[in-house]
Amino acid sequence: MSLLTQYDADAAALRRGIRRFLIVAVLATLAVAAAIVVRQGVFRQTTSYSFITNSAQDIVKGQQVRIAGFRVGSVADVNLKDDGQVLVNLEIDADHMRFITHDARVELRKEGLVGSATLEILPGADKSRLAPAQARLAFSRADGLAALANQVRDEFIPILKDIKTITGALADPQQGLPGTLAQIRSSSEALNTLLANSNRQIEGIGGTAIRILGKTEQDLKYLGQTLETANQRLPAMIDRTQQVLDHVEKITAEAETSVPPALRDGSSVAADVREIVSGAKQAWPIRNFVDAPAPATLKADSDPRGEAARAR
Amino acid sequence: MRASLLLLVTLILAGCGSTPQPPEPQRLRAALEAESEGAKRYERGDYAFAARRFDTAVRLYAAIDDSRGAARSRLHLARSELALGRAEAALGVLATAAGSADAGLALDILLLKAQAQLALAHDAEARQNLAAAAGLCAGTCAQAASLHLLQARAALAARDAANALAHAETALKLLQGKDLAHETGNAWRLVAAARLATGDAAGALPAAQAALDIDRRLALPEKIAGDWLLIGDIRRKVGAGDTAAAYRRALAVADAAGLIQISMMATQALKDIGMEKKPAR
Repeated sequence: MSLLTQYDADAAALRRGIRRFLIVAVLATLAVAAAIVVRQGVFRQTTSYSFITNSAQDIVKGQQVRIAGFRVGSVADVNLKDDGQVLVNLEIDADHMRFITHDARVELRKEGLVGSATLEILPGADKSRLAPAQARLAFSRADGLAALANQVRDEFIPILKDIKTITGALADPQQGLPGTLAQIRSSSEALNTLLANSNRQIEGIGGTAIRILGKTEQDLKYLGQTLETANQRLPAMIDRTQQVLDHVEKITAEAETSVPPALRDGSSVAADVREIVSGAKQAWPIRNFVDAPAPATLKADSDPRGEAARAR
Repeated sequence: MRASLLLLVTLILAGCGSTPQPPEPQRLRAALEAESEGAKRYERGDYAFAARRFDTAVRLYAAIDDSRGAARSRLHLARSELALGRAEAALGVLATAAGSADAGLALDILLLKAQAQLALAHDAEARQNLAAAAGLCAGTCAQAASLHLLQARAALAARDAANALAHAETALKLLQGKDLAHETGNAWRLVAAARLATGDAAGALPAAQAALDIDRRLALPEKIAGDWLLIGDIRRKVGAGDTAAAYRRALAVADAAGLIQISMMATQALKDIGMEKKPAR
């Protein structure tokens, strides 16, 4: 009899234990569900804003919206309108509405140039007026790698065109330097001839001298015109050359700041890799498989440059 | 199946649980790796990189007070400098090595010094060092062939062709059956040059051809170009009609490998025989 009483007491204790466990489990599940709901912002007070863009590239529903790097909301939905434009609705925490001015702008940025895309709201200059709820904000995309590449290309194309124009102008046999120099040379030769003639004749024949001097004057005038032409062309060419040099100098200056750090980075990366490989080789159990090299011996070569044959 | 799986797991665990090998000191290992990497680069013909790695090895060995390792790396560094044509630098390295090396490396240092001095045309000093080396190499030492080759070069420089030929032929005999292709090529080249100097141009030609065959097999442009120059000189001496072709081959190899000095010598040789500089076919 006492055995049966003892059994009933144990069974009741077991039932109580199970009941308590189930209650705790249900409560924990409810707490987790509540946390998820709160985290999802179901009870959060939000305000809607929107913007229009011509492409939904890199914009997805649920994407983070930030102000000054802090998450303040997310993309509620992305819809394609009848006119082919894309309407993007944003849900922003009501607490952060005070940062969104009427001239605020939404910018699509990539973290670290190639990382994930985020939307950043950039407040405008006029802080006196806030954007009303449902306001449509301006939108722009920050420069990505493609844009930077295009920018570099846009910088280089005019320079290449300038160089092509200048080299073309300089090389042109009629209009360029060769033509101008040929004109100057022919004028100088004519002048030399005339001066030689005048030297021979000037003593006896005054009239002839006057005529020759007149001709000389004409030739000098011609030479003056030629030099003037050259004078007109050269400054323009020099200006263009100067522009090209300015471009090149600018690019060089930019490269000076960007290239050496890149090279230094490459060098330090190589050193890091060497260190990592060396560390890995030292780590157990890899070091069991990688033996340290033995002292090196080089093959004998008493004449590595073959100089014996050149003792001529 | 289950038994074999258990066996496999047991084996893996036993392997992992075995006593790990005691690690070598990291700095010693780094020095050995630098030396080994330099040696690999030297064998590939990348002498500039090899010299940098040997220089690193010297510093690493010196930092752990391993004088033998440092001296050995200095010798490697000197050999790289010689291969780069920087004999003065090699002599500088050898001067520091001589002060710190043990007796085992003394002969190597003397031979390398002589080699650098011959390259700089300091023939008297080279002969002194070779005499000292011969004293250390009494009987037969591992470097006997190299010693004879350097003695042959010194004799050639002193216009003692008969002595040069004797040393070169002795070296050739010592090198027979040994895996020392570089030195065998050098020996044939010296035999050819010595025979040419003694007036035996007909005997010099096959020797030069043998040197060229070895150097081609080893793919050494500087030596190949030098061999073609030598062949050109021999053909010129015997009055063969294809002298210009040999000089042009030397020129083509030198131009392709960027060997300015040999290129100039080949151009001059072509001018000397009244031929214009034309690329070899």
